[in-house]
Amino acid sequence: MQRRTPVFIVTSSRPRVGKTLIARALTEYFCAQSRPVAAFDVNPDEFKLIDHLPADTAAASINDTRGEMALFDQLVLEDEVPKVVDLGHQTFDHFFAVVREIDFASEVRRRAVAPMVLFVADPDERARQGYAMLKDRFPDLPLVSVFNENVPQIMRCRAEFPPTRLGGEPIGIPALTPVVRSVVDRRNFSFVAYVEKTNDTTSELYEWLRRVFISFRELEVRLLLGEITPQLRHSA
Amino acid sequence: MAKPAVILVGADKGGVGKTTVSRALLDYFIAHNIATRAFDTESPKGTLKRFHPEVTEVVDMHSTADQMKIFDTLSSNNAQLTVIDVRAGLLSTTLRALREIGFLDAAKKSQLAFTVFHILGPSIASLGEIDETAGFMDDAHYILVKNFINNTTFFEWDPATYNSYFNKIKDAHDITIPKLNEMACEQVEVASVPYASFVANKTGEGQPANYSFVLRGYVRHWLGNVWAEFDRVKLIDMVAPELQRKGAARQA
Repeated sequence: MQRRTPVFIVTSSRPRVGKTLIARALTEYFCAQSRPVAAFDVNPDEFKLIDHLPADTAAASINDTRGEMALFDQLVLEDEVPKVVDLGHQTFDHFFAVVREIDFASEVRRRAVAPMVLFVADPDERARQGYAMLKDRFPDLPLVSVFNENVPQIMRCRAEFPPTRLGGEPIGIPALTPVVRSVVDRRNFSFVAYVEKTNDTTSELYEWLRRVFISFRELEVRLLLGEITPQLRHSA
Repeated sequence: MAKPAVILVGADKGGVGKTTVSRALLDYFIAHNIATRAFDTESPKGTLKRFHPEVTEVVDMHSTADQMKIFDTLSSNNAQLTVIDVRAGLLSTTLRALREIGFLDAAKKSQLAFTVFHILGPSIASLGEIDETAGFMDDAHYILVKNFINNTTFFEWDPATYNSYFNKIKDAHDITIPKLNEMACEQVEVASVPYASFVANKTGEGQPANYSFVLRGYVRHWLGNVWAEFDRVKLIDMVAPELQRKGAARQA
């Protein structure tokens, strides 16, 4: 049986909330399992994901129809290759306007493609509005809020980013100390290479990565459950 | 037997999107299972025929033989509805000819349903066209079309002036054709298929095609909006009221 192709859209309507770090970790989560993965960097001003993972990432621009085609025609492919989209805050509104106009949700429902939007929360009002917009306008897209503990005062605003019917409960990304973060942010740093080399499974970074990968595994299970739940209902 | 219906799509100016509207109409009626045929008066080679070859015939409206081919077969043809895409500049001439052959009288006696889609151009001259057309519209459904598909950024007429022309015609409606993404528009042209086939990712022969999902999405969205305009003016009720009644009876 053909498995549905997962498409993770990592985004926020606010800058500097850790989208690219999460997109990087998610891309490397698939690499760590020796699974092929295709990542897309949709940041208009600076390409960060592509700097870290040039072999697996394509720069994408949705400034014109050609760019939209280059991105969205890939996202609806039923090739079982997981897709990760790092969507910058500058393109958030336009991206979802296109999603709405071309009826992305209906197309992926017809195909074996399972999208999931990971919205990185922020205490700012614009983040709350962005999340509410996605929840209201795209009820067919699984939406999961992500609480990155590196974002100041993030846990105070949990109520503003409630669980959704298709996406489920929020996930958490543990904080990294500034020293470890500075290492991780180096252009040539790879999570997978680090795990392969290190002998210290008690290190801060190893523990961080373990927890983050468990969260990503949980997201995959949710997509799988979303796939089989209608079949279970049908057979009941 | 159902009363035959004729839709005339025309303008007195070229390049305002007559064939676009004719194509959207054919897709709409085919989707509603209304047997439809079309005549393309861009003789000798028609644009409409390129997109809907199975239901379209190219005719010369100046030829009596071709006029007979259209109007003498209205009742005998299997298709209940006839769509005529009138060549640019021939709308008034065609309406005059229809009066001369007694077609407008037949519409007056309710022997057939007659609807005119008048595609407006950007210039103030289009308002004059409404004035000229009004004289033929006593017993027809008259639909004025503002077509924005080719990025028209006009229609900035003074509303009072526009309404003074619009109100000259009893029961006139106006509809708006929104702009379609340029690349999507271009790709449908290249594919030479009906809009509905493009959306369904099918070739003209009904085989699976490989059109861009993004472009299909834009066309689907646009076509949905155009059809919503047809629904708004109750087009099915105008051309095939018995189908509307059947639908209502089914719902009851």
